[in-house]
Amino acid sequence: MRLIMTMRFTYMLFKMKLSRNMAFRFSFFGVFFVDGTMFLVQLLMFNYIYAHVETIGGWSREQMLFFIGTFSLINALNMMLCFFGVISIPEKIRSGKLDLYITKPVNTLFYLSFENIDIGSLPLVLASGCILGYSISGMVIQFTAFKILGYIVLVLTMLVLHYDIMVIIRTITFFVIRATGLERLEGELITLCMKIPGILFKGGFKILFYLLLPYGIMATIPTQFFFEAMSLSGFVYAIAITFIFTCFTLWFFRLGIKNYKSASS
Amino acid sequence: MFKKYSEVLKLYFKVQMMYRFDIIVNIAFGISKIVLAYVLWGAIFEQRDTVAGFTFDGMMTYYIISSFILQLDQSTATAEQIASEIREGQFSKYIIKPINSFMYFTSKTAGVSVFMLIFNIIATLVWLLVFKVNIQLTESIYVIFAGVGMCLLGLLFMMQLNFFIGILAFKFIDTWLFIMIKDNLVQFLTGAFIPLAILPTSILNVLRFSPFYYTSYLPSMLFVGQNLNEIGAGVIVLLAWNTIFWIINKLTYSQLKFQYEGVGV
Repeated sequence: MRLIMTMRFTYMLFKMKLSRNMAFRFSFFGVFFVDGTMFLVQLLMFNYIYAHVETIGGWSREQMLFFIGTFSLINALNMMLCFFGVISIPEKIRSGKLDLYITKPVNTLFYLSFENIDIGSLPLVLASGCILGYSISGMVIQFTAFKILGYIVLVLTMLVLHYDIMVIIRTITFFVIRATGLERLEGELITLCMKIPGILFKGGFKILFYLLLPYGIMATIPTQFFFEAMSLSGFVYAIAITFIFTCFTLWFFRLGIKNYKSASS
Repeated sequence: MFKKYSEVLKLYFKVQMMYRFDIIVNIAFGISKIVLAYVLWGAIFEQRDTVAGFTFDGMMTYYIISSFILQLDQSTATAEQIASEIREGQFSKYIIKPINSFMYFTSKTAGVSVFMLIFNIIATLVWLLVFKVNIQLTESIYVIFAGVGMCLLGLLFMMQLNFFIGILAFKFIDTWLFIMIKDNLVQFLTGAFIPLAILPTSILNVLRFSPFYYTSYLPSMLFVGQNLNEIGAGVIVLLAWNTIFWIINKLTYSQLKFQYEGVGV
């Protein structure tokens, strides 16, 4: 019953957002163009580097393309589903608009996260699929149902992890006036990890990007799984760290709500 | 005539003093490009001593210098300011005052850039120490002057380009799309991601006719004592593009300003 209500609620949010988006048709595919050029530039960058070297950290050109395609896919799904909802959280806390959300008979975090579903990002999901398809076409690889299913599970898990980190950073606004520096830091780090596969990190960078802010595993672990370059422990690690981050996110957000002072009332 | 603009420059230089923490944070984030280079090229140089004529130290020197030059370009923020003021009706103050709006915004951006220059020098010295780079700089005063001159012409060009994108807000509601796509492409074309020497010769030959080749890539190469034979061509191309964009901006501004509605005036 509750699931049906949530699904109906999500559908209503989607319909409302779509009608709002249609009013600004020029910006409708904005995310596709902006992120599309970003990943295109990244593809070009690695294409030209691989003209000079055979492998980077043991990865071939096709594996690197697959890594870029996977990050692009996680990013596109995030943009489509919850990005615009989550990034608006700090402003709602500061301005007191959060009152409208916490008084509704629906989970506050769910409402905030999914009220801005962006269908304009859908072409980016398709473009990511094309990058993945192109990278696979250049390799002799055996497909199994286990491999494909495992890859899909890992991509969805990493999508949740990405969402968790985004929410944690925005939840800090409940306790401080402004956390824009942290938001910028997040942008810089995620852009960095989009360009560098996690396998290249060593020492302190590995601890930072595999444990504390695990952007480094987001596209790396699904890619390693797909190319059978990862043991079962890697799979378990990805699931475990996402579980820990999700539990922390839910607890931290609840703590934030308790600490909310409502600027407007 | 230029006194009023030099006052604007001085004023914005002083204004930055109030936001010095923001400036330091901004400069600190410049490290992400250097970390990218350190991790990525570190892995590549484990297998070889040179790539496209660069040693590892040469490559790191290139990234640190190009990052230094690119940080001086603050014109994207000016484009965002122009677009926002046009949208909100605050641009009227530039129309009714006896000032040239392009000169005003250029002086403002120059004031910010001069302030950035001071902190950038400190940051560059810190990066050199942190990453233990054996810096390889030219000793020729002539080449250093040529590099500095080219940087100034490059910064003027970027200002003209961003002014053009900013005033497009007279016609379009959402110019953020243009700004972000421009940023993605410019980062690649200026050699912020990879040194342009890595690109195939045919593409390099085309890029030599574009201004982006000369805004940070060529000055960086000049400072490390390479590509000295391209100084003359660089100055001519940048002067030509600056002239072209000066005409484009003059025509666009005089045409589009009549579409300004002055919301709220």
